[in-house]
Amino acid sequence: MAVVEEREGLLGESPFRKPGTRSRRVTLIVALGLVLFFPLIAIPLFDSYAYVLQVGMLMLMWIAMSSSWNIIGGFAGYISLGHGVFFAIGGYAAGLALAHWGISPFLFLPFAGLAAMAVGFLAGLITLRTRGPAFIVATIAMLFLFLLWFDNWEFIGASSGLDLPFLQFPVQWLKVPFYYAMALCAIGAVYLAYRVAHSKFGLGLRAISQDETKAEVAGINTRWYKVWAFALSAFFIGVAGAIYGYSLTHLRPLTFFAIAVAARMVLMAIIGGRGTVAGPVVGAILIIGVNEFAVRQFGESELNIVFTGLILVLALLFFPQGIVGSLRKSGRLPAFLDWD
Amino acid sequence: MAHWLQILVLGLLLGGVYAMMASGLTLLFGVMRVVNLAHAAFILIASYMTYALFEGLTLDPMISLFVTMPLMFGLGVGLYLLLFPRLEESPRYVEMTVLLTFGLALIVEGLLTFTFTGTFRSVRPEYASTSIMIGDLFVPTSQLYASLISFALLILLWVFLRFTKTGTAIRATMQNRAAAQIVGVNVRRISALSFGLGMSLAGAAGSLLSFMFPFFPARHWQWIALLLALIVLGGMGSIKGAVIGALLLAVASAFVTDLVGPTWSPITFYLTLFLILMVRPQGLFGAKVRL
Amino acid sequence: MALLEVEDVVAGYGAGPDILTGLSVTIEEGTSYCIVGPNGAGKSTLLRAIAGFLKPRAGEVRLDGVLMNGSRPDQMLAAGICFVPQDASLFPMMTVRENLAMGGYLVNDRALLRQRMDMVYETFPILAERRGQNAGTLSGGEQQMVTLGRALMIEPRVVMIDEPSLGLAPMIADQIFEKIRGFGALGITVVLVEQNAVKGLENVDWGIVLDLGSKDFEGPADGILADPRIRELYLGKTMSKGMT
Repeated sequence: MAVVEEREGLLGESPFRKPGTRSRRVTLIVALGLVLFFPLIAIPLFDSYAYVLQVGMLMLMWIAMSSSWNIIGGFAGYISLGHGVFFAIGGYAAGLALAHWGISPFLFLPFAGLAAMAVGFLAGLITLRTRGPAFIVATIAMLFLFLLWFDNWEFIGASSGLDLPFLQFPVQWLKVPFYYAMALCAIGAVYLAYRVAHSKFGLGLRAISQDETKAEVAGINTRWYKVWAFALSAFFIGVAGAIYGYSLTHLRPLTFFAIAVAARMVLMAIIGGRGTVAGPVVGAILIIGVNEFAVRQFGESELNIVFTGLILVLALLFFPQGIVGSLRKSGRLPAFLDWD
Repeated sequence: MAHWLQILVLGLLLGGVYAMMASGLTLLFGVMRVVNLAHAAFILIASYMTYALFEGLTLDPMISLFVTMPLMFGLGVGLYLLLFPRLEESPRYVEMTVLLTFGLALIVEGLLTFTFTGTFRSVRPEYASTSIMIGDLFVPTSQLYASLISFALLILLWVFLRFTKTGTAIRATMQNRAAAQIVGVNVRRISALSFGLGMSLAGAAGSLLSFMFPFFPARHWQWIALLLALIVLGGMGSIKGAVIGALLLAVASAFVTDLVGPTWSPITFYLTLFLILMVRPQGLFGAKVRL
Repeated sequence: MALLEVEDVVAGYGAGPDILTGLSVTIEEGTSYCIVGPNGAGKSTLLRAIAGFLKPRAGEVRLDGVLMNGSRPDQMLAAGICFVPQDASLFPMMTVRENLAMGGYLVNDRALLRQRMDMVYETFPILAERRGQNAGTLSGGEQQMVTLGRALMIEPRVVMIDEPSLGLAPMIADQIFEKIRGFGALGITVVLVEQNAVKGLENVDWGIVLDLGSKDFEGPADGILADPRIRELYLGKTMSKGMT
């Protein structure tokens, strides 16, 4: 409700149309251009070219994951800590297709996404019978069930993992195809989130997150809305898993199922602004940026996870609406970030 | 027959310890509607404290209970006062607490890894490797001790909740927070106290677990999944339910281990958790508690 | 000096709008009151603001002339202001006896508590019969009696009761009102909030009519009931609602 009212408020200020449409379009073009030409721009940094591209890829990956998570966790208000499952499904689906049938993961991407979506649909049918904290607990149980299964499933290499053949590509440009694949994935995920946010479906999800009983009374089929939101949120996470897994060339269950993976999606969405389209993007860029900076400055250490936790706690206490959410509330959200 | 009895006894012994771990968690949920995802991480803090005391001062882990319990009590009260009053206003309080304690779990895990590294640790007092034969029954001494202490603490908890004024106020707050406020219970004070109480139970659990199982910082995720399964089975917020759930599941998983091997025994917990949430989101015993 | 003074109080929930928009009421010792008004007028909010469950955003709540703003519910109760909310707020898994005992949570004198409990059983004989039963298993009327009996355990100076007849059959409601009328004899000042305005006013001395978060009108209860214009103006909607 609040979101709707606020939007009406914005419309009220301008008698013609929502202000900032142009600046949003400019931002979009600049952002797309930056993503598209980043591998070219980065060429002068040849010493650390692979590293820079890797960081770029990771940023895009987390934008995709966090934006996807936001569909169920932000719009519908159902916080899932089990989305690592879909990351794994995508990664393993594409990995198995490559290892057993020789299909390039790049061609298999849509199917990896669909596989994740199918699992998401089924898992959603079960877990979404619960609400609130019970749902969160159910998604954790789901994560551990899948981890246990994958850890003991010989066909996919169990806990020791599955080796994939390397991508045949000049080694100094090796990261480039992965980067572009991930760019496609991120753009797709953000576009999906945008479309959902601007659809009747998205409005229904927001109604559910505000007051589910009222939403139901208003004639929204809350069950199917939630299940579809869950399934949709799995798609691009699966795609991201396929690309990421291929880039690692070695798939281990813990890489995908680690609770820290799920934690990051949540963290980024919350920092950026849960339930906003731009929020997860801002959150992902910020967290990966700060993280890479910290790793370069202080080295990789266990303290990383401490910071993740600390930022989450501080954000919840002092900043529960996230950057985009807080700025919007105080009316200072720059138009180029207002994608809702 | 003797074989089955043996497994039943081992399951019940373990169940006693689980019951104490779970009662702390369910107490927190009952009083404050906090699903404390960091509960197992806090248990691990106590395990590492016990480890440090044993390695440094050769202090018996069962004696270190007297150190870990009060320290964890203080930590609990402090954390409560620092973090939770801020969240109380939030319209999505319960979800916020889940995320908040999730963050706390990450912090604890990271700090423990940083301090003690990620390698396996265990505390090995003499009784950790001995056993007693009762008739044909084989009883590991460590499990027996741990179980006895757990049951003793559970009885103390029951007496406290049942017969003291503060304990009654805690039960009242669990049953109806608003009504407790109406009759003049300072629910914030009771909440802080309960948080401390739950944490001191986690402290005791950590000391006991330290000589029962090897541990490492990331171990707490397995433990929390197990504990959640227990309290969900028992109906969140019901201590009686948590104890029954713990005993049932511990015995069940002992039989699963015996039948299909130890790899699959955790699945008992996750599957139970999953299934119970599907069939009865309110748990088996807690009909009144809304999630 | 008035017992309880509410002056220009502004209050609301969370970040929501003001429900009370500068409300002033005075409660005198020994008089009984009924606050009436349409839905959303702020009747319950007023009680919550006085009882310390809701911090006023502005204005003053004074007890015996002492400023009480921002006191916690338990502090207000200790000062003699007892609040009985509309959803029979009991401890469902405790017995009737334990529920009553919880009513005396702030009293440490055991002998005094026993004496008061006997008095509660005298006032509500049905509760004596049910003393060993879990409160959650009682009927609606009996639960309401437990909350009233529980209020007596603290021997408050003022008891504020929110919608005592809500969800009760008319006959049971009449019984409840009869018990509430008896509170005056015990030296307890009663403040009622009633949706069923006529029924509420019939059982008190003084009526206070709220609308849109402030006081519209006040006067002797029988006067309000007798004046057809006031009935139509202020009680019309609620009256027809009460009759259907």
